[in-house]
Amino acid sequence: MLELKRALDAKGHCLLEMPSGTGKTTTLLSLIVAYMKAHPLDLTKLVYCSRTVPEIEKVMEELRKLMNYYEKEMGMEQNILGLALSSRKNLCIHPSVSKEREGKVVDGRCYSLTASFVRARHAADDAVPICEFYEGFDAHGKEFPLPPGVYNLDDLKEYGQTKRWCPYFLARHTITHANIVVYSYHYLLDPKIAEVVSKEISKSSVVVFDEAHNIDNVCIDSMSVKITKRLLDKCSNSITILETTISNMKENDSKRLEKEYKRLVEGLRDATIARETDMALVNPVLPSEILEEAVPGTIRTAEHFVAFLKRVVEYIKTRLRVQHVVQESPAGFLRDIHTKVCIDRKPLRFTAERLASLIRTLEISDLTDFSPLVTVSHFATLVSTYTKGFTIIIEPFEDRAPTVSNPILYFSCLDSSIAIKPVFNRFQTVVITSGTLSPLDMYPKILDFHPVIMTSFTMTLARPCILPMIVSKGNDQVAMSSRYETREDTAVIRNYGNLLVEVAAAVPDGIVCFFTSYLYLETIVSSWYDQGIIDQLQRHKLLFIETQDAAETSLALINYIKACDNGRGAVLLSVARGKVSEGIDFDHHLGRAVLMFGIPYVYTQSRILRARLEYLRDQFQIRENDFLTFDAMRHAAQCLGRCMRGKTDYGIMVLADKRFSRADKRSKLPKWIQEHLKDTNCNLSTEECVQICKRWLRQMAQPFSREDQLGISLLTLEQLQSEEMQKKIQQRAQGV
Amino acid sequence: MEDYQTCPKCKTTKYRNPAMVLMVNACGHALCESCVELLFAKGSGACPECKCPLRRNNFRVQLFEDPAVDKEVDIRKRILKEFNKRQEDFPTLREYNDYLEEVETIIFNLVFDIDPAGTNKMIDNYKKENKDITQKNRNRQSQEEMELEELLEAEKAQQSEKANLYVNAELEEKKQKHKAREKLIDELMFSDADAKSIVASHVQATAALAKEQPKAAAQPSSGVVKSSKFSSGVQIGLRGQHTNSFLPIPKQEDLPLYRYTAPVFDYDGPPPPAIEKLGKLNYFANIRAANITERAGGYTEAMSCCRALQEALGGLFYSPQLTHKTAVLATNSSTQDTDDMETT
Repeated sequence: MLELKRALDAKGHCLLEMPSGTGKTTTLLSLIVAYMKAHPLDLTKLVYCSRTVPEIEKVMEELRKLMNYYEKEMGMEQNILGLALSSRKNLCIHPSVSKEREGKVVDGRCYSLTASFVRARHAADDAVPICEFYEGFDAHGKEFPLPPGVYNLDDLKEYGQTKRWCPYFLARHTITHANIVVYSYHYLLDPKIAEVVSKEISKSSVVVFDEAHNIDNVCIDSMSVKITKRLLDKCSNSITILETTISNMKENDSKRLEKEYKRLVEGLRDATIARETDMALVNPVLPSEILEEAVPGTIRTAEHFVAFLKRVVEYIKTRLRVQHVVQESPAGFLRDIHTKVCIDRKPLRFTAERLASLIRTLEISDLTDFSPLVTVSHFATLVSTYTKGFTIIIEPFEDRAPTVSNPILYFSCLDSSIAIKPVFNRFQTVVITSGTLSPLDMYPKILDFHPVIMTSFTMTLARPCILPMIVSKGNDQVAMSSRYETREDTAVIRNYGNLLVEVAAAVPDGIVCFFTSYLYLETIVSSWYDQGIIDQLQRHKLLFIETQDAAETSLALINYIKACDNGRGAVLLSVARGKVSEGIDFDHHLGRAVLMFGIPYVYTQSRILRARLEYLRDQFQIRENDFLTFDAMRHAAQCLGRCMRGKTDYGIMVLADKRFSRADKRSKLPKWIQEHLKDTNCNLSTEECVQICKRWLRQMAQPFSREDQLGISLLTLEQLQSEEMQKKIQQRAQGV
Repeated sequence: MEDYQTCPKCKTTKYRNPAMVLMVNACGHALCESCVELLFAKGSGACPECKCPLRRNNFRVQLFEDPAVDKEVDIRKRILKEFNKRQEDFPTLREYNDYLEEVETIIFNLVFDIDPAGTNKMIDNYKKENKDITQKNRNRQSQEEMELEELLEAEKAQQSEKANLYVNAELEEKKQKHKAREKLIDELMFSDADAKSIVASHVQATAALAKEQPKAAAQPSSGVVKSSKFSSGVQIGLRGQHTNSFLPIPKQEDLPLYRYTAPVFDYDGPPPPAIEKLGKLNYFANIRAANITERAGGYTEAMSCCRALQEALGGLFYSPQLTHKTAVLATNSSTQDTDDMETT
């Protein structure tokens, strides 16, 4: 809180690492809300970004608790409006549209019911269907602001049902004057969406990125484009549709095309159409760099533009017909496209905008078919706008199947700071926080910002409730490592198996194991079968395996939880960077031990990664190995953190790789894990590890009551107000 | 499979004959290579689809999936050779855009055979009117092209330089590590101090080195950035900035101003007399005076005299066995002798 307050006072950005389960969310919310109440002019809004819908719901729950407490203590209604925002898919209450499963389809159908021209048509002809909820909102909802309170997604839906207003648009509308907004990263980071949703958020806001250890990847994904052969074929189809629609319109209603043409000639920018529902297509360029010029003459008329698109698509098709991997810079691409099909840079930059305008003019209501074309137009705009920080890689086939031709063009962003820069520039305070942000100094480098505060917190605990250990060798003294050279070695695989069996025999309830990749998991499990390790393992616990299929994995998870709940005990084999390692908590008996088999390095042969490493090295002076180790260790820490979700929780963390004990890896673990990782636990064999586990578990299994924590990790009001404690707090506030 | 390219004449597909190559001519209809050879054995003939007369030499390999695009690109290239005005040739952006659209319309008309007579007339008119500009523009690259060219060049230069730099840096680092380790082992072998303290001091030293290294890595690379700025393309880049705002403006680093400091020579001997004093000290008595032609070229006898003195005195104190200090003491008296000898 102290650090956070400092950052708020300084109006700067900060980077906080707090172990999971220590009340990160509550701390952030309560301080910022209190700050908002105390300095209503300096700080007007809190934007809380989280990753997934369940996490958003969790934050809303915390906020509600906080508000209830305020009400109880202050004895009156609080004038604070908090709300969650998600996609149309999660908020739609239209009887038929909300049945759709895919997000894109919901968006498309919503657009076809609410676009301004559809509604205009409806006014003329009642047979044209529209969304009654949107109509309701448009008619009444805009004048009546949402009453203060805390609304999560379900509350919004309910409110929408009772008032018969569309909850999605209601939420979008309310963002501008709500005090607390909780939504997903993408609404702020992805320039395509941010432009629409988050444009009007004022500068004096606090932005919190929770669970932000992967924020650089999110930034990069939001600016990257991937074009496959199939996508291009679909583009050709949609171009044909455009052609026919244009010729139809020319015959029937040429006025509209003329109007659009005139507008473009004048260089007037969509002044007529600022309706929120029409913003389904947007320019991927960052808001600050919006082009202020008129659309160039080459693509002014509709036919010319369609011919232009056709040439672009055909050109990309020829580029995809390569036999070997090509990597080139945007500048090289622009030169090539100029010589091959005579396309200049300037019209290319306007592609996305021109396409959006054309689709609007043609009144095409079914947008889902055009998404491939939109992707290509984004690509064209991006490639001609940014010459630095991006690269184009064309791969004729996947590395794993070199015989199957599957050409893909990757336009990949190498610089994660491009997407997040406007956020840092615009808001006075940006808080980046997660349970695992170590090493902290890497984030300011790769995101290119200057934090005023950068701190890693540890937990104050009444007992040593985590036990990290580095196991480096088996009982036969063969070193354990997932290094490329030794990973196929049967001795190593057997040692890993023995370690798991012995730990499974000693540890009660659930055990989660993480491997470096799906491939490695499969090879190891198959050779465990041959070596009879699986049989031994199943004598102690049930075995579940995560697969690449999401449905299968969630089934395995449900059964794993069931097995842990009824005391049978289970082992879950999963993969670092997979679904299990990212969003699922194994608190208490669900995860008494986590085993990390090997260091989860990324697949280093990927060309995109290579390009990014090179870029990082050249631009930010980050050495390849440093970044790779950083990335591997943050994922390892993320996996280990899965088992610790609170102060009463306890768990064993086994790092089974010789290389973990090296200083460069060890020092990159979060402080709260490092603190418990003693030198004596650093270079263990399987047997030693099991001995330590047994002793520790016996200690942990003693009854642990609330009184034991009092005074150490839990304070009563009297203790907090006691002189000694006050002195301590004062000391810390001044000393740091 | 309909995905495969098919020759419209003989119906061969790419699937059945992977070696098949489709060709297109000015009319935009495709034919496979063997059909071209068969039908145009005489060198010219009619297109089997549209019956327009074609020459065999004009057949080219089809580049795009859609032969119509090939045709369009072909026409476009031809037209843009003539219509090559630049934005600089127009007073306003609006007029330039109008011009661009006109060009686009001409190309469009040609591709789809709309009003061929009128279009050709327009082209001819344009050719007559703008002969000079066309000729002039043909020889100079457009600004945009130049920018791209420059970017590519800079990229290339940077890449090669960086590659070298990092290879060297890595080698250097390896060497240093090796050296440090050997030093530690030597010390452990021969020194009488406590082994623990030796190891501790070694760890400290390596940590200090590691801290220095990132700095060292940062410095040369910033030098690389600078050098790319000072490459031949400086002028072009400056011109580019006036019209185009999207290019990132290179950051001007606040380097300290250059200040001249006189170089300090280590003569390793008695200091030779300054060049101005040579006349007073009567050195010129023993030298041939410079004649008029030599003086005209800026030569004076003082120069050669000064140089000869420097050469004579430099390195006199050098002795491989003794340290510098003792050498000075030992030779001090003798230098005085030599001084006297030369002045007389």
